[in-house]
Amino acid sequence: MTQDPGPTALRSSPVLVRGRIGQLRDRASGRHSPLRRLDWPLQISVVALALIGALLVWSATRQRMEEAGSDPQTFLKRHLLNLAIGLVLGAAATVVDYRILRAYAPFVYLGSLVGLVAVLLVGTTVNGAHSWIVLPAGFQLQPSEFAKVALVVGVAMILGEKHEDRYTGIRRGEPGHGDVLLVLGLAVIPMGLIMLQPDFGTVMVLVFVTLGMLAVSGAPRRWVLGLVLCGVLFGGAILQFHLLKPYQEARLTSFVSENKATSSSGYNVDQAMTAIANGGVTGRGLFEGQQTQGQFVPEQQTDFVFSVAGEELGYLGAGGVIVLLGVVLWRALTIGFQSQDSFGALIATGVVCWFTFQIFVNIGMCLGVMPVTGLPLTFLSYGGSSMFANMVAVGLLQNVRLRSRSDPYAL
Amino acid sequence: MNDRMRIRLLILRVLVLSLLVTLGARLWVLQILDGERYRRVAETNRVREVVTPATRGMIVDDQGQPLVRNRTSLVISVNRSTIDRQSDKGRAVLDRLATVIGMPRAEIEQRIRFCSATVKAPCWNGSPYQPVPVAKDVSSAQALAVIEHPDRFPGVSADLQAVREYPNASLAAHELGYLAPVSQDQLDAQGGEKGYHLNSLIGVSGLEYTYDDALRGADGVERLEVDRFGRVAGTASTTDPVSGDHLVLNLDLDVQRAAEQALGKTLESLGGGARAASAVVLNVRTGGVVALASLPTYNPSVFVGGISQTDYSALSDPANGTPLLSRAYQGSAAAGSTFKVVSTAVAMQQMGAKGDDKFDCAPTLQVGDQIFHNFDGSSAGPITLHQSLVISCDVIFDKFAYDAWVADGGLRNGRGPYQEPKEYFVRMAEAMGFGSRTGIDLPGETSGAVVDRADAKKIWEELKDSYCRRAQNGYPEEPDPVKAERYRKYAAEACVDGYLYNAGAAVQFSIGQGQYLSVSPLQLATAYAAIANGGTLYQPTLAKATISPDGRRTKLIEPTVTGHLPVSPEILAYIRDGLHGVTTEAGGTAAGVFADWPSDLVPVGGKTGTAEVEGKGDTSWFASFAPANDPQFVVVVSIPESGTGAEYAAPVAKEIYKALYGVGQPAALPGGKPPADLPELGRDGSFGGGAGTTAGPAPSAQGAAGQGTVVQGAVVQGAVAPGVAGPEAAAPGAVLPALWPASGPAAHSGTEPAAATSAAGGAGRSPP
Repeated sequence: MTQDPGPTALRSSPVLVRGRIGQLRDRASGRHSPLRRLDWPLQISVVALALIGALLVWSATRQRMEEAGSDPQTFLKRHLLNLAIGLVLGAAATVVDYRILRAYAPFVYLGSLVGLVAVLLVGTTVNGAHSWIVLPAGFQLQPSEFAKVALVVGVAMILGEKHEDRYTGIRRGEPGHGDVLLVLGLAVIPMGLIMLQPDFGTVMVLVFVTLGMLAVSGAPRRWVLGLVLCGVLFGGAILQFHLLKPYQEARLTSFVSENKATSSSGYNVDQAMTAIANGGVTGRGLFEGQQTQGQFVPEQQTDFVFSVAGEELGYLGAGGVIVLLGVVLWRALTIGFQSQDSFGALIATGVVCWFTFQIFVNIGMCLGVMPVTGLPLTFLSYGGSSMFANMVAVGLLQNVRLRSRSDPYAL
Repeated sequence: MNDRMRIRLLILRVLVLSLLVTLGARLWVLQILDGERYRRVAETNRVREVVTPATRGMIVDDQGQPLVRNRTSLVISVNRSTIDRQSDKGRAVLDRLATVIGMPRAEIEQRIRFCSATVKAPCWNGSPYQPVPVAKDVSSAQALAVIEHPDRFPGVSADLQAVREYPNASLAAHELGYLAPVSQDQLDAQGGEKGYHLNSLIGVSGLEYTYDDALRGADGVERLEVDRFGRVAGTASTTDPVSGDHLVLNLDLDVQRAAEQALGKTLESLGGGARAASAVVLNVRTGGVVALASLPTYNPSVFVGGISQTDYSALSDPANGTPLLSRAYQGSAAAGSTFKVVSTAVAMQQMGAKGDDKFDCAPTLQVGDQIFHNFDGSSAGPITLHQSLVISCDVIFDKFAYDAWVADGGLRNGRGPYQEPKEYFVRMAEAMGFGSRTGIDLPGETSGAVVDRADAKKIWEELKDSYCRRAQNGYPEEPDPVKAERYRKYAAEACVDGYLYNAGAAVQFSIGQGQYLSVSPLQLATAYAAIANGGTLYQPTLAKATISPDGRRTKLIEPTVTGHLPVSPEILAYIRDGLHGVTTEAGGTAAGVFADWPSDLVPVGGKTGTAEVEGKGDTSWFASFAPANDPQFVVVVSIPESGTGAEYAAPVAKEIYKALYGVGQPAALPGGKPPADLPELGRDGSFGGGAGTTAGPAPSAQGAAGQGTVVQGAVVQGAVAPGVAGPEAAAPGAVLPALWPASGPAAHSGTEPAAATSAAGGAGRSPP
């Protein structure tokens, strides 16, 4: 449809009175239709990253699956399935007006807490962390991933309310001490539950999300600085008094220690770095990386998926992945910037903090400059829960985008 | 949403961007700047080497007869990387293998386990991808049982492998040396440069060591790409092994054998035990080593596949005579009267003695409070230096040495109004190569010792304290009180004036005795070769050339001149003439031994020596050359703890000459000359029998005289009738068989046609 009737024309011109179906078609494809007004650069980048991820996961696993007598495409298919489900979940998160979502935020939050408690009761231990609930048909659920979404929504609700009245839109000022305390209370509960699994990496994501959202919301500066200081002291104390389990400490410190090969996490990083360096400028080609195909890098389809990109796609490919991730973060921040209310802006802030932290820690780990924390690389790493949570987060961004102030024709 | 929040979002945007840029930069460093270093790591991560050892070159004598060759051995090997992948870790396969080769499974498992700090031999310290040899020299039936059932024996292989073989057993063992697996240190230090691999066998002694680079060749290397679990994914590259070059020696197997046999017989007659003996035969014109024998010896095959600790201890035990040690170039002793050639040279070159000057060979010479006797206390009256060599008069040389010592300032050690000491005798000894290594192409050569005044003082300074302690405390560990008191007195003297180079020491030195001189048989042979050839010192050399596996000469080892004697040719000729007199003139110390020698055909010049050794029997020496008028070979024999030179060493030397020239037996070196050409490598990879071995006389001479005498015909040409061609040479040769009945069948075939004789020359050389 090339004709652009415009809202006025739609209302006034009897000539253009159409049937119900025609109207729907116009809404779907017109300039101001929600489909058109989605943030397509964001969406395309996300889907492209997930597809690249599918190839990398496939490359890292097909040899092993074949040797095990399984379908070598198992992981490829599942990653694509995860993407499809994730897109549906994301669409759902987009369609519901986030201002309505705000009303349900407490339930989302409570639901995530139920998941976190459940995992402690009936969960399965993988790689030392009690983080998974095994579902029928070979699926697993990782409630801590959904806790990220819940926390973003929950914190945005509390801090956003202080800016505008939900119904009148009247500005009510910046968050006060009470709000900050409420946010901290809200954040500490899932953090504590996740710490019990224990999944230190996810706790750190939640810490950064909370801090980031507090800082952007305009919470009292002394709170923000004080919390950062507390974090530093706490981190120092943890290492000083060996409060972490030995393997956790080894993961954290192996990237600065000299004899990397002695610890297994040092070995992982060494192999990942070797694989990435082996890629050179143009890479070895998909399925051609000797390190990858020789299965030298452990956990390569999840935590170390970036090393597949490094070896097989080279600097151009791996750099391209970083650029695509940059586009996602850039668009997310733009969406936050253009949001018509603080709630939307804070959701975007939370998602950006979450993604940024995971991306930097994960890729930094593969490049040997960040500690090994077991965080997946958003959109690329294999993992259903992570994919679903990421896609829901993207859906929320699109939701904010569709209803942003810069769009006078928001639905 | 307010503006302040927007500003904070902008700050967040900058933060995010900078983090991403950081990642991009780090990626660039890792993949592009440091990429090469990491890619090398990746290489070792992924690639495993499987080494196919190169076939080592043979070592053959001057006529192509093998001294060391390779024998193929059927070896059954087990590949760990395949065995380990069996569901039962290969237990069933090894059980089956155990029944085939008749070795308990436990033993096979020991051999294929990996060595470590706690796991000691038997174990495997090679690569896990390298098949581990578990049984050598298996029968072909056993090998077939494995080869024909790959399904029942996965990971087990049977191949022909080359192992070192010594067809002449212990012959020339000290010169050949042996192999041992490369040590980790060598691998680290030189592995890349020399192409060593883990478990490479390298020469660690003898010629195998010196010419290791040529003999070893280049191992074949197959580089396999493997995954993290060590499973082979493909082949990265393959290099075929390149066989090593063959080494052709100057050494002649038959002369060597004759020398060892003659020494062996003498030692047997002496009563065996821990006794040792050695003989050296050099080509005086090149320094080529024709024979280098030392007894006791050993069979180097004990080193094949690794020597046991028991065997090694036995080979280095002095109670067995330390078989590993070659007395010919690794041991030294006082030279006795053989050293008088040095003293004669000094007397004539530096002290003005003339050939026809006469000196009093009195029975004794008094030097201070010491009296020096002639060997048997006899007096010969006034005689020339020539006669003095012939009868081996000590006193005349004692006198020269004493005069020289006085002229050097005597005890004053060159201080005061005297000039710098000339030390003629010491300097002449050094000029003849004593006191320093000859440079023979073997490791571990001794330099012997020549001590001058400065050295004596230095030694005393080091030992003074212990002398003085002994002077006080005596020798309580010595059971004989008389001896203990004598030692104590000696220590007391040494404590006070041990730095003095006293007359006694100087006098002893001139006749090859005392503590200031020690020579190896090889050094003495080198010096005699120089006297024989007119004054040129050659570096004795065992190797003559290297020949590639396809028969090309890859390297010719040219004679190396290491010096020239500071003695005029006339004096050298005078000395040679004197030495000739030793074997021919009345009263000559070796005249009795050589009484039945055809001196008119092969004149021999030589000097006996009898070196006294404190507390032990005398060392018997004979240093000689032949033909005396046109020297070709030097023969030196040394037999410690035996008796006089004439009694023991000279007869051994005569036996060696017999073999060299074919007196009463087939000649080892037809024509009395080392072969001029290199042996030819046949198509079958072995050296053809006798090819290019005869050098010298015209075929007519051979035809007339038959094998046993042909050779002497050649000598006659040079010795008696220079310029007279073949046919005449046959005349004296015809007489010879009557004088020295030959044991060989060839000696009786006096009328064999030329061609047949030439062939017999080759046949006669095959091992008995």
